[in-house]
Amino acid sequence: MIKRLATIALLMSATSVMAVDSPINGVVEPKCSIWTETNGVYGHPLPYKLSTESADGGVHASIRVDVAQADYYKTKFTHPNSFSSSPTLTDAVAWTGSTIVGQVGVSGMSAYEAAKVTYNNVTEFNMTLAGSTWFTVKSTASYGSTKALPAGNYTAMIVAECIAK
Amino acid sequence: MYRQVAILLSFLFCTTLNAHEMTPAYPTLKQSYIDGVYVTKMKLFNRRKEIEYYAIQVFTDDWKSIPFASTSKVIKVGYNRRKLFEVYIRLKDIDKATYICTESKVFKSKEQVTLVSSKICSKIKQDE
Repeated sequence: MIKRLATIALLMSATSVMAVDSPINGVVEPKCSIWTETNGVYGHPLPYKLSTESADGGVHASIRVDVAQADYYKTKFTHPNSFSSSPTLTDAVAWTGSTIVGQVGVSGMSAYEAAKVTYNNVTEFNMTLAGSTWFTVKSTASYGSTKALPAGNYTAMIVAECIAK
Repeated sequence: MYRQVAILLSFLFCTTLNAHEMTPAYPTLKQSYIDGVYVTKMKLFNRRKEIEYYAIQVFTDDWKSIPFASTSKVIKVGYNRRKLFEVYIRLKDIDKATYICTESKVFKSKEQVTLVSSKICSKIKQDE
């Protein structure tokens, strides 16, 4: 009898301990994250040329944009049209570049590529779906038509923007 | 074997990922303790290891700069740290103020690379 009562008392005390709540709270709000997965690297295939093309020994920049809620943001990518640091250059540099949709987290995001808007060195994408999209930014610089680039380090800036609509 | 390599690669990629986040997407301006000055609170999260400083900017709808006050126009945010900051805007400017942005400040590099500057803009919620 005493053993039964002890068991019941133990069970009651055990259940009261299990009833204690330990909530984990979280808030899902519209937000945009810009992830720089790969900084681009310039290859130097010709004396006058720097390029991020893999065939030229370079690496394209890869930027991931995560959007938590659909249709709250647009993104803008500005590919370089000048060096942010370089040796002294006495001639003009001809710049080309582009931004394309790479991998997509949701299949519908593939449509971003056809719907993109390009002006000057800027490419805009309307982020109509929630999830992750990878963008590839390409850049090429040619110095003084075919003049050899002076030796030194060259850096150019890509600007990735996420703007609430 | 392939699974182990895949896990190792994904771990390596994860550790090199870098992000910039700012919330809320649609901040609301409220009367501050100073008469004629409105304020909103923003939250910045820095997961970019190579970035330590972010510039705060306020713009009109057509991207013209608007005067504002904050603890500092360039704030220092450590890696994997959140920073709460307030943006004060004058009453006469609040109808024009549309975007509050933070832009990463990139240090000069000694490599032959393209650097990525990230910029996130929230849109100020105007009263109906």
